[in-house]
Amino acid sequence: MNRPRVMLITGTSRGIGLGLARHYLARGDRVLGCSRAPSAIRHAGYTHFELDVSSEPAVTDMVRAAVQKHGRIDALLNNAGIASMNPALLSPAKTAQSIFATNFYGTFLFSREVAKAMVRRGQGRIVNFTTVATPLRLEGESLYAASKAAVESFTEILARELGSTGVTVNAVGPTPVETDLIRFVPKAKMKALLSRQAIRRFGEIGDIINVVDFFLLPQSGFVTGQVIYLGGVNG
Amino acid sequence: MMIVETLPSGANGSSIIFGQGGMLDSLGLVSFLADLEYRLSQEFDRSVVLASEQAMSRSRSPFRDVSALADHVTELLEK
Repeated sequence: MNRPRVMLITGTSRGIGLGLARHYLARGDRVLGCSRAPSAIRHAGYTHFELDVSSEPAVTDMVRAAVQKHGRIDALLNNAGIASMNPALLSPAKTAQSIFATNFYGTFLFSREVAKAMVRRGQGRIVNFTTVATPLRLEGESLYAASKAAVESFTEILARELGSTGVTVNAVGPTPVETDLIRFVPKAKMKALLSRQAIRRFGEIGDIINVVDFFLLPQSGFVTGQVIYLGGVNG
Repeated sequence: MMIVETLPSGANGSSIIFGQGGMLDSLGLVSFLADLEYRLSQEFDRSVVLASEQAMSRSRSPFRDVSALADHVTELLEK
């Protein structure tokens, strides 16, 4: 059997991040997770860090602790994200700052710090999380979609900067999944959104894991700078 | 070790690391600094980020030559 992979997953207290962490723990991988809240996961292979992903000292300390403990990080899944469904003209500046802090700045900080460890080893996989809200230009999600557009640009350019290092950088763009993130979105709005997908249903954690697993495959070393949307949405 | 392999063994304080006439290209600099950060964090048991805002805004890059980098590292570690 192959040795367990060391996975760093952000935003593991709930939703997709929790599902990803449980999936990789069940596979026998070691998972380092983080969130602002304590973790519900009790597993010998899991280590939790309570932190704000936009805090540079907290992120650098976590990555250093992870590398000290395991000697390496095989994969980084930048899942942590927050959303706000409001028309742009009714959005407080503080909301814009919070969304960009978690969604973009958190992704940037973890990618920067983990990539340093990966570059030293000459291998690694970074998977960022975007959304179909960006290519669909969804009204009412301007801040969320813009923050994820930043994540997509960052993914594509970081992939080029690391192109010769053995580290790949890609992104997955899920459709809405029935998690806390969309709890307060009106049903009619969700229905309208789903109608713009080629396959008109909510996404499931398994759909996302499938794409992530593809990016993590050893055979995917020639796949980088790509954004894969689910549900038949095109960029 | 990697740092020794990255910089020529004859490097001294005035040896140019990055920029015109430098020993490293941009990717080499990234690898070198990542390795140096790791070794500093191991040696001093603390997180070290060499590309700080203060460092990157200086008119004289702290990554220009060995002497400037040594000063920068010393300053960071004394904080």
